[in-house]
Amino acid sequence: MEYWGVKVEDIFDTMNDRFRPEGAKGVTAKFGYDITGEGKWKIIVSEGLLEVIKTDDISDCVAVMVCDGETFVGINIGKVDAANAFTSGKVKIEGDFGQFGKTAKMFKKYVPKKAAMSTRDYILDMFGTLVSRFQPQNAPQEAVIVYDIGGADGGVWTAYIKDGKCELKEESPEKFTVRLEVQEAKDWVDVMLGKVDAFSLLSAGKAAIVGETQLALKLGEIFAKYQDPMASGTPEQELIVLKKIISVDQKFATGPVMGKFLNALKEKKILGNRCPKCGRIQLPAREVCAECRVRVDEFVEVGPKGQVRYMEYVYYASPDPLTGETRETPYGMANILLDGCTGNDTFAHLIRRDQIDRIKGGKDDVSGTRVRPVWNEHRTGSIFDIKYFEIDE
Amino acid sequence: MAHKKNRNVAIIGVGQTKHSSHREDVNQPEMIHEAVSAALKDANISIKDVDCIVHGNMELFEMVHQPDLWHVLGTGAYGKDSIRITTGGTVGTTIACASDNLVASGMYDIVMAIGFQKLQEGHTTGGITNMADPLWFRNLQTGALTGSTAYDVIQEFGEDRAKRAAMMYRIIMDKHACLNPNAHRAFGLDFDQVETLMNTSPQLVGELRLIHMCSQSDGACAVIFACEKKAKEISKKPVWIRDHITIHREETFNIFGYHKNYPVLKTHKFAAEQLFKRNNIKNPLEYFDVFEMYDPAAWWGLDWLRDFFFLKGDEHLRLVENKEIMIGGSMPINPSGGVIASNPIGATALLRVAEAALQVRGDAGAHQIPKEVKHALASGFGGTMWTVLMMLEKELSW
Repeated sequence: MEYWGVKVEDIFDTMNDRFRPEGAKGVTAKFGYDITGEGKWKIIVSEGLLEVIKTDDISDCVAVMVCDGETFVGINIGKVDAANAFTSGKVKIEGDFGQFGKTAKMFKKYVPKKAAMSTRDYILDMFGTLVSRFQPQNAPQEAVIVYDIGGADGGVWTAYIKDGKCELKEESPEKFTVRLEVQEAKDWVDVMLGKVDAFSLLSAGKAAIVGETQLALKLGEIFAKYQDPMASGTPEQELIVLKKIISVDQKFATGPVMGKFLNALKEKKILGNRCPKCGRIQLPAREVCAECRVRVDEFVEVGPKGQVRYMEYVYYASPDPLTGETRETPYGMANILLDGCTGNDTFAHLIRRDQIDRIKGGKDDVSGTRVRPVWNEHRTGSIFDIKYFEIDE
Repeated sequence: MAHKKNRNVAIIGVGQTKHSSHREDVNQPEMIHEAVSAALKDANISIKDVDCIVHGNMELFEMVHQPDLWHVLGTGAYGKDSIRITTGGTVGTTIACASDNLVASGMYDIVMAIGFQKLQEGHTTGGITNMADPLWFRNLQTGALTGSTAYDVIQEFGEDRAKRAAMMYRIIMDKHACLNPNAHRAFGLDFDQVETLMNTSPQLVGELRLIHMCSQSDGACAVIFACEKKAKEISKKPVWIRDHITIHREETFNIFGYHKNYPVLKTHKFAAEQLFKRNNIKNPLEYFDVFEMYDPAAWWGLDWLRDFFFLKGDEHLRLVENKEIMIGGSMPINPSGGVIASNPIGATALLRVAEAALQVRGDAGAHQIPKEVKHALASGFGGTMWTVLMMLEKELSW
């Protein structure tokens, strides 16, 4: 028989997993259980070890609990009050009552496996527990986060974060910091349970982020991980993930050739060097021509104006490797054929951000957009002595 | 003339993990051990039979110096010769080539190559960006993301056709991934989504969209190589390594001149030309039964078909549009779902070899192609434009 979805056997079968040796200190005894209509069990406790046996022979036990299955399961899963059951006579203890009381500390609580939760159950539980999972130390000062979960099981929830507090409302405000739009509630449940990563949903076009993407990526820190109430029975070991941030100071020698190129930038000059064999002008100047495998000594000033041959129109917030900070997007990184250069020996640099929509790449003898460098006032011999290139109008 | 070899070498065992972005349940050596024990079981040998371990991954992606030392727990390299190789995206095929060379030379009879990556433990784009010249280009570049191939294909074939073909390629890969229980991302996409996805998937760089790009996976792969004598003793279905080639080019980005008078050395095409010429293969599209290609993005996969198979005009687009690259088609590409589905980078190129070997054996399971596979091709890609190609054969008869 099942009571609240749990069988009497379930309680006994998990006793070994739930056994707490520290709660059984100093106890050496046999205890019996006579569950009416279900059978008899005996547990043997000795020196911190436990043995559970299903047997009719419980005559050698120091104490025996007698009750029906419903009461037994009810007490173990917290549906029936043990003291009341004892007082009302639903539970009898035969033998040494005081000894039997020691069994109370010996076991971790039995957590029943619940009947399957529906997608709707999960969605309600996830948002029901959202505020309790809020981590103020990881949260921004103020933010409005909208969860727009689609499908029949979905809904719209909005988390209002302000001054270390979080409030959840079932509403869809016009103003928000970030809005998560998930087409199917089931997908969102899978993400929250760790079955699917959120990035996959975004990739497949099953979800979208409107507003501050950066904040959406931090949601895992702002709210503690959702615990699946179905993942129960015996508690699993916590899987610890160590978090480290590595920060390393580095310095790189430039050598005389690249050094000359970088030094020239201080003087607002762009230096390439010409391969004595194939004649191409390398930019920046390099020690040898890798294609001809010969040393390249002749320096040539090129540009500083030129034409764009190709521009990467970058939407993805890739980190700046120098600072670790995320760049502002969109931005344009262009391959510019500086005046005096030929072929594929283009110079790579950024394009003024407000002009990237007007840039056209060249092809064959057709020129791309003409551009000129914008120099930094304070120059140090770095590629960023040029701030960016802008349209030469 | 193929590579000069002292003796023939065969693949006698392959193993891999499930690829996933959720491998917090194991640490690095534990994850590797899953692939190692699967490969040993597949070969029906024990670690005692292995003479040398060749270990590979992306350098410093997880910021562990000499991970091969820590990983001895999972690789079984204790007391054995062990070599670590790291060549970037190509590393998986490089360790396969190295293992082939080590056995062919006569130094070792049995060598196990192990590729792994736990991309969730580091920062992939940050790691890749660090590959660029630190003196100047590192400040400008954007990891492995580039919209240039999309730009090229669109320029050549028009926006609508190009975008459709790239999305077709993507959906075919997803259909294959859905047949592969080890694949990381298998969405269940269908062809009626071409139009929506090509217009709504978030843009990364130009027309390279999120849906086109490969995953960031955790996973490991192990492949066991044996000399002819041992392979015939141990294995019922040895898969023979016929030849392999590695082509590098200058590690800069001087390929964007867009002028017909200045052609760019394309390492895929160059490698394929050299390899097929010396093996006397005139029509690779006809010769090979399956190709496991290192395709980090749908645009690349689509475009590179032309380079590898010497196709002309829009032949490569038609192969995709006519679904000839599907498992039942004339030239199945990546029945495993490929790199777009699963990309534990250090293992990725070795997975191409492993999956190609499974196809030759007929042991690929649900993603086995329906016709007999006698000749298989696997590729690796990395650096800026570097290529490794490996040819596998069912019979020792070339």
